[in-house]
Amino acid sequence: MHEMTIATSLLEEVLALVRQHKARRVREIEVELGVMRLVVPESLETAFAVLSEGTVAEGARLKLTETPLRAVCNQCQKEYSARVDDFRCPACGQADVRITGGNDIIIKAVALDVAESGSCG
Amino acid sequence: MKIKVVESVMKANDAVAAANRQRLEAAGLLAVNILSAPGSGKTTLLEKVILRLSPKLRSAVLVGDLQTTRDADRLGHLGIQVVQINTGAGCHLTATQVAQGLECLDLAGVDVLFIENVGNMVCPAAVDLGEHVRVAMLSLPEGDDKVAKYPTLFQPADIILLNKIDLAEVLDFDPARVRQDLARINTRAPLLEVSTRTGQGLEAFCQWVSERRASVTNG
Repeated sequence: MHEMTIATSLLEEVLALVRQHKARRVREIEVELGVMRLVVPESLETAFAVLSEGTVAEGARLKLTETPLRAVCNQCQKEYSARVDDFRCPACGQADVRITGGNDIIIKAVALDVAESGSCG
Repeated sequence: MKIKVVESVMKANDAVAAANRQRLEAAGLLAVNILSAPGSGKTTLLEKVILRLSPKLRSAVLVGDLQTTRDADRLGHLGIQVVQINTGAGCHLTATQVAQGLECLDLAGVDVLFIENVGNMVCPAAVDLGEHVRVAMLSLPEGDDKVAKYPTLFQPADIILLNKIDLAEVLDFDPARVRQDLARINTRAPLLEVSTRTGQGLEAFCQWVSERRASVTNG
């Protein structure tokens, strides 16, 4: 259940954006989940719902998408799409990689209700 | 309004992890994060390895568990600095907990910091603590299919220990299956067959730790 830790950071960063934009409410948060971070979407949603209770982010919809794995082979430097159960390089066959995609959790966009309406879309 | 942002949710943890790493390097320490299932022998491994490394390399330990100070009590008998971190409901250590643990240690006179993570094959793998090297350990009673089942634990590992190898015959455990799975998951990390009971492989692991420590402190 490391989703609780992730939801805590997510809420902190969203509330920072809320303060920055003087928002009244958070409608939606788009988050990309790297497969290497092993996030169960339902668990993250539950954790976020519990933590955001009583804040302006309460009831916000989480739009979660998964970022696939990208890897660079340390042996031959080829970049390729790896699978979480198979990291082998298609060129040299070694499983000696640097993960370049799918290793992070990223907030891509946040939909906010702000005090002044009509200022932007 | 919709705001486009590209902000890492892990950045708070990762920033603390980077600071931990720098702080440890500045103090001349190698930090070793040990990950495995509960009961695979992390604490026993440390009991044996820390004695073997001494007096050439002096160790300290941060040990994470949900409850109790049993591991810290065991390791404390070695006469080294040990900090027990009780995570409560937390299934893994965080970089912040490690930073707090470091506050309780006198880093002068320590060469290797072992971080014994909470026993768990999933969550700890996703969290950087500021370690320099990661050890993934699998013990034979867990079964020879675990590398394939928990690839994210074994993929980032710098060394893989196959513990309780003295039980291979009793358990019909096939180390070849582990090697086959590692060929798909991680060919960078050496695989060491060890037994904390008979001592097999422990010298080789100590040698590996010494070499890695030298590479960190020599820049």
